[in-house]
Amino acid sequence: MKMEFASFPYLSCILLSCVIGLLIILLLPEKRKQEIKWISAIFSGSTLVLALYLFFAYDKSTGGLQFVEKILWVKSMGITYFNAADGFNLPNLLLTGIVFFTGVLTMWEMQTRVKEFYALYFLLVTGVFGLFMSMDLFFIFVWYDVSLFPMYLLIVVWGTTRKEYAAMKLTLYLLAGSALILPAIVYLFVKSGLNTFDIVSLMQPGTFTAGQQKFAFILLFLGFGILAAVWPFHTWSPIGHVAAPHAVSMVHAGVLMKIGAFGVLRVAIFLCPQGWQYWSQLMAFLAAIGIVYGALAGLRQTDLKYVIGYSSVSHMGIVGLGLSTVSVDGLNGAVFQMFAHGVMTALFFSSVGYIYDRTHTKAIAELGGLSKIMPVASTYFIVAAMASMGIPCLASFWGELVVFISAFKVYPIRGAMAILALVISALFMLRVVQKTFYGPKNEQYAQLPDVPFGLGVPRMILVAVLVFFGLYPSLLFDMIETASIPFINGLP
Amino acid sequence: MKWMIFSPEIYYLLASLWFLARSMIPHPKPGRNYFSALFLAAAGVVVCLITVKSEGILFFNAYQVNLFSQVFKVLLSLGLFLVICLCSNLTGVRKKHHPEFYLLLIVCTLAMMMLVSSVHLLAIYVSLELSSYCLYILVALRRGQDMGIEAGIKYFLIGITASAVMLFGLALLYGTTQATYVSDMARVLPGVIDKPAVIIGLLLTLNGFFFKLAVFPFHFWAPDVYQGAANQVTAYIATASKVAAIALLIRMVALTGSGAAGNYLAHVLVALSIVSMTVGNLAAIVQKDIKRLLAYSTVAHAGYVLIGILSMSQAGYSGVIFYALALLMMKFTAFLVVVKVADGDRNLQIDQLAGLHQRSPLLALALMVSIFSLAGIPPTIGFTGKLFVFLAAMEQGYFTLVLIAMFNVVISLYYYLLVLKAAYLQEPDGALPELQLSPQVKVLTGALIIAMVGVGIFPTYILEVAEAAARFLV
Repeated sequence: MKMEFASFPYLSCILLSCVIGLLIILLLPEKRKQEIKWISAIFSGSTLVLALYLFFAYDKSTGGLQFVEKILWVKSMGITYFNAADGFNLPNLLLTGIVFFTGVLTMWEMQTRVKEFYALYFLLVTGVFGLFMSMDLFFIFVWYDVSLFPMYLLIVVWGTTRKEYAAMKLTLYLLAGSALILPAIVYLFVKSGLNTFDIVSLMQPGTFTAGQQKFAFILLFLGFGILAAVWPFHTWSPIGHVAAPHAVSMVHAGVLMKIGAFGVLRVAIFLCPQGWQYWSQLMAFLAAIGIVYGALAGLRQTDLKYVIGYSSVSHMGIVGLGLSTVSVDGLNGAVFQMFAHGVMTALFFSSVGYIYDRTHTKAIAELGGLSKIMPVASTYFIVAAMASMGIPCLASFWGELVVFISAFKVYPIRGAMAILALVISALFMLRVVQKTFYGPKNEQYAQLPDVPFGLGVPRMILVAVLVFFGLYPSLLFDMIETASIPFINGLP
Repeated sequence: MKWMIFSPEIYYLLASLWFLARSMIPHPKPGRNYFSALFLAAAGVVVCLITVKSEGILFFNAYQVNLFSQVFKVLLSLGLFLVICLCSNLTGVRKKHHPEFYLLLIVCTLAMMMLVSSVHLLAIYVSLELSSYCLYILVALRRGQDMGIEAGIKYFLIGITASAVMLFGLALLYGTTQATYVSDMARVLPGVIDKPAVIIGLLLTLNGFFFKLAVFPFHFWAPDVYQGAANQVTAYIATASKVAAIALLIRMVALTGSGAAGNYLAHVLVALSIVSMTVGNLAAIVQKDIKRLLAYSTVAHAGYVLIGILSMSQAGYSGVIFYALALLMMKFTAFLVVVKVADGDRNLQIDQLAGLHQRSPLLALALMVSIFSLAGIPPTIGFTGKLFVFLAAMEQGYFTLVLIAMFNVVISLYYYLLVLKAAYLQEPDGALPELQLSPQVKVLTGALIIAMVGVGIFPTYILEVAEAAARFLV
């Protein structure tokens, strides 16, 4: 086996700590719930630490691919285990680490089938990490599926509300996405004639003709787009969010949907830039509809998690709109929005999780006046809601701002529509906050305790991240620019 | 020394004689049959592995031993060994018939081994019939239920019809090419492939193997036979017999050579592949009996196998050889779970898997891995096999076919997930006891799980062997 490492393989260590954590969990007996949770916390924490280290150790002045790890996997097929970090995937790796760790802590109170839950949860996240760091088409597809199939069991066993329907719908939708992705990947592999799955080699200009790029791009865009909840393929997403257990909703809305957007960026846009330019109008169109549709649908929801689900559809539309502008600002905003939205939804589901575990309801009408009963829990939700509205000083503001500015330049009408939708989404968020947390309190829940410090830790981390990047966005923007500027300049 | 290359066949012949002798003992000790069969089958795998590198020609050039045939012999011996591992509690067959049961299994394996080495039309036909007749009886051996007899007769009737059609095809081939040796035919065929008689002859010949592989429209026997036969026999039909059919299909299709000459044939195979996948997957959705479900999934898998074969390239053939191993392992694992959960001789309904995750977490895990492998989800061997097959088809420009196959994968996932849901979510009506597995079975199950995931992630070595084997064809 031929191996090449540019430095100590930090990226593989992230995967390894997931896998080792998974194996230890599998070997522990089901009865030792507390140990399983501690092991999960330790190993998920170590991935966060590694991701943080990579984020700060990345040399922005040189840019490009760093921490490269290459192992020749199947020589005759040109498959390489090829991991690298760049400005696009580092924010996402950091996001995954944050959501993973806080997800484990959010589920600290869980008691049913703990071992299986954490084992599947680790498997899911392994796939997510792998996909973000991989630069090889074969492995990207493998990781994509690895991160999907645990979802079925996670929802069907530990979920709530219509879980069997939701789990089946989600799995089949996402697998239908992979049914478009695999033929496209194989098509590109065969047409390149280079006998390699390596993205860096395949993305050299001139590898594919314009026609091939247009054809492959649309397949890849739709395939990955299903996972990014691109309208009209978004219907699995709110249902799936609602049915999934909290930590899974966090990972799912926070990170898994980013995989879709990231796949569009890393595979479709990197390999088929001409296809990207050709189809960008369609992308912008679908994204704008998604933004407006998500906001309008969110207005009418009566279930807290559904509200978040539809706001996710709307926010992922903003990511799509950013990607469709074919500009540096658009890419910057899209990647920033992926990060900000990930943290924000994680906070949303984490805080709803606490409320649901106490009240056993997510119906907005049954709650009410919660801020008088559990002020701290309410604060977490309200912070997330403010982030969702795009209030300055919170991270989402920057992502949305940059995307809208860049989109307005290229697509004035669709940009204006999207900005209008933002007003609607502010409206529905305020409505939810008002009905759930203010107004007369429901006496039934008056005795419920507020969030204790221990359980508050994951939510505090998420709030801190939102505020930190809200005040210091250039840390993230500088990082993304190291990748987006050379990429856009390199376009034919 | 020349006969050394024939040693796997001689070995299995001797092993079958051992059971022939045992079947004549009036009151055999129960259990001894099982252990001797297990030992003989395990040693058989070793014999096949030792002779895997041998090459040569026997019996007036009618019998060719090379890496291609030997790889398939290893797969067959492995299949036999695995199936015999399941026979520790063989209640589906009357006790006094146990020696005959093992005898027929071994003779059937022997016949299939001869089948993969035969390069003469008559030798192919004779070994095919020998293996089929063993299977007819094995299916009918099921105790107590009329279902076994019915399935046996159905299998027999459809089987001999397929053989008759195949004989007619062989006659046509002989008439047009004047050749009975496969090597002679390979020389003549590409030149005359445009003649209608040749194409019809070839297709009719292939019917015999389509029947074995349960390709549409020769799949009607599969659900009934799978359901009617004893669980172990079904496992054997689903694994070893499919491997042999795949080997022969590759050999016959490789005759036509690559390129435009095989085009007519490729068109027919494309149609059969699409219909097989779709019919198999759609029919499987409504099944309640897990063996029937697996039967229809076999039909669908026959469609995927055809995708590789119809590529008519070395990459396609090696992909299919890899896929044969994948099929063997994942199908067997699914049947292992069926046999262990059914505990004895029941037909298992999908609902009866309820609570499996509590009754035996290991079996539930094995079921999950085998099901994801059957559905072709990475990082399992089923995915890697499919990828190789699809790559080969794409190289020949079959984009739409690959797309259809992928959407079939999505359809198939629906019923596979229902099985998984039964095992992981549904609670049984009454409390069921934990499933007691012997340590050997635990080791076997663990090894299969590791193998399915391991080969899926590290396919290099197996793929190299498959590529080397495919090189002998072209």
